[in-house]
Amino acid sequence: MMLTPTDGLNDLLQQPAYALPDDEKKQVLLLIIRDQLEGAIKNNHHLASLFSKLHLSPEGIGRLEDVPPLPVQMFKYFDLRTCPEDQIAKVLRSSGTTTGITSRVPLSKNTTMNQVKALKAILKEYLGEKRRIFLVIDHEGINDPILEFSARTAGVRGLSIYAKKVFYLMREEDGKLVLNLPVIEELLSRYQDEAVYVFGFTYIIWSTFYNQIKEKGIRFNFRDVKIFHSGGWKKLKTGQVSKEYFSDEIARIFGTTRENVLDFYGMAEQTGIIFVDCEYGHKHVPNFAQVIIRDPYTLEPCGNNEVGMIEVMSVLSDSYYCQAVLTEDMGYRVGVDDCPCGRKGVYFRFQSRIEKVEVRGCGDTFRE
Amino acid sequence: MIRCHLLNGEFGDREFNDFTTIADVIDHNRRYLQEMPLDVIIELLARLGKKLIQNPDLNSLPGVGYLSIWLRRKNLEQICRINYGDCRYLDTFVPVNNHFEMSAQPRGIVCQWVAANIPTLAFFSLAQAILSKNGSIAKVPEENRALITAILKELSDTAISCNGTTYRGEDIVGAISLVSFEGRDTEVSRMFSLTADCRVVYGGSAAIRSILALPQKEHCETIVFGPKYSFGVFDREYIESERFEKALEDSVKDIVIFNQMACSSPQVLFFEKSRYSLEEIGLKMKGYFEHLPPALRHQDTDPAILASIINARSRYLLSDHQNIITPADLSWTILMDSNLRLEDPIHGKCIFIKEIGSTDEVFDLITRKIQAITLCIHDEERRRAFAREATYRGVDRIVIPGAIHDYDQPWDGILPLNRLVRWVILKNES
Repeated sequence: MMLTPTDGLNDLLQQPAYALPDDEKKQVLLLIIRDQLEGAIKNNHHLASLFSKLHLSPEGIGRLEDVPPLPVQMFKYFDLRTCPEDQIAKVLRSSGTTTGITSRVPLSKNTTMNQVKALKAILKEYLGEKRRIFLVIDHEGINDPILEFSARTAGVRGLSIYAKKVFYLMREEDGKLVLNLPVIEELLSRYQDEAVYVFGFTYIIWSTFYNQIKEKGIRFNFRDVKIFHSGGWKKLKTGQVSKEYFSDEIARIFGTTRENVLDFYGMAEQTGIIFVDCEYGHKHVPNFAQVIIRDPYTLEPCGNNEVGMIEVMSVLSDSYYCQAVLTEDMGYRVGVDDCPCGRKGVYFRFQSRIEKVEVRGCGDTFRE
Repeated sequence: MIRCHLLNGEFGDREFNDFTTIADVIDHNRRYLQEMPLDVIIELLARLGKKLIQNPDLNSLPGVGYLSIWLRRKNLEQICRINYGDCRYLDTFVPVNNHFEMSAQPRGIVCQWVAANIPTLAFFSLAQAILSKNGSIAKVPEENRALITAILKELSDTAISCNGTTYRGEDIVGAISLVSFEGRDTEVSRMFSLTADCRVVYGGSAAIRSILALPQKEHCETIVFGPKYSFGVFDREYIESERFEKALEDSVKDIVIFNQMACSSPQVLFFEKSRYSLEEIGLKMKGYFEHLPPALRHQDTDPAILASIINARSRYLLSDHQNIITPADLSWTILMDSNLRLEDPIHGKCIFIKEIGSTDEVFDLITRKIQAITLCIHDEERRRAFAREATYRGVDRIVIPGAIHDYDQPWDGILPLNRLVRWVILKNES
């Protein structure tokens, strides 16, 4: 029986997230993406313009590498909706950290559902079948739905789908983050024999939570704990903090070992997909996504260990152009299908953000 | 902490906590330069130019070929003549009338903050201090220091004989110091500024503002080569003339040189509506980009600039009334539309080409930040009239394609050598 693109996507979401060998996955993704691009061109004149100017049609795309990637910045300047307007249930607005301009990501019910399923499939690989208590190293206000999406809120909202109960370990006092001691005391007295998972923004964990909790001499000792963190490595590197030292110190606070401190990479424009470190420190690409590392000058895909721009492909959305998004992050592919952890597909490492260039000369502006 | 890479004619790294020693050495050694006739200085620099082009280790380095041409005796004499009127002012008192004589004396120590975008910029800056007989302390970007050091070593090994006297390039180099320090170190920056009898500053807005905010000696002169922008204008008649193809080819060369990072690099080309569509013009330019030698076509480009190019290409592809012509890689990019405006520079050979109704429409875009316009107006009278209006509005240089980077004097509206000297008088009784 011929597999339809919709069947293909449902099938991908039901399988274990890292089960498909890369070659097999690429065929399935290509079929789905071609179908999604037909809809995208039909519903979005910007995308129609792009494909027309590139003399490209979805059926003419023979490889995932040939799907035209859109830079992530385009979400700030264009409506990249790919379905009829009446199917948009909400628009996710992601606050920019550098330009201050907001990205707009239109979400249909179907897209949101796929994203939730995808995230559950990923988390299941790290947390097992059962929901757990979720500890957030941030203040409760960060999850206020009125606030725009940011790297901080993305992690909290995304990861909370696996939570049976949520505790915020910090609170705001005069605009500063301080330990939420009543909550911490409750956790210490009532929940030490529970399995928990933790999330915090890397820099906040280190600059506020770690210092304060160390000063108070507090140590947790949960039955089982996984600590997820994301973002903000640059500030830590400036402070000479290595990833290993960070992991060891945070693991100590939670009474566990370095392997349970998991850095992940993700972005608001590809909600539903996070690339979590495995025990070997590699970020793995799930079935419903692909990562291509592109040489920033030739734009050709890089080989293993060649540093380039990270492009994230996804099939989760029928409501915006998620099929190929080029980030402004640099990384390198470590391998395909053969990580010792057993997960299939591409695995890679994040290296750095592309820093905004400081014009070191005189040719910079016409404005007075 | 200050790292000094050249002092008293000796190349090698030394560290200092302040500029006292460096300034003392330069102040002492600049006397030898002051005593050297200007004509001798010009001849030593011209000899250097010849040596540079003959040196296989240097002549292929970026900008060295042009520097050797710029150092031709004829060019240096012209620069001095334009700046001083009469070159004798540098060597002696020159009578203005029976009772009144005039001369030009060096200001003293010229502290130079040199930008990184042009590899040879530091030497151009030093050459002007030399031609005004000043001592120099130049803060040179690390990435260009090896090139500048190599050029100064060549100068140091140059000598000429004139009327039985031997003059040595090492006496010129003795009045130069190359230094480096962290620009964000406000205390060292403050000391550097206070060392100067004249400050020469190159750079973008942020750098210029922070340097101008530093304290200075009351008598200190400051010469600023700040942020500037350049573009090109073509009228219909010119586009439809046989001159157009060559002008377009030369415009592509202008874009390519310095990887479009200079203040004189064109960022936008405006084409008056003609029998050629903008796309046809873009395709002609494509041909010239494709025939560039590999070293010019593929220049090291910062990943952030590459990301900006990728973003710009995508913006134009997604927009209804814009289009692009590009190769598969990011070696060059043509962005086409008819929006009458200047665009923020992207650099890395990313040129905006725009169709306009009339060349006069660009007048309203001109600000004091516009350094150069390559002006291709077929009728000479109209061209002069355009130039008069454009320069009134703020443009410093009206040039032809292929000559936009020629380091002419005046530059940025300034006669630098003229400002690097003090004009002094001698009144006589009879």
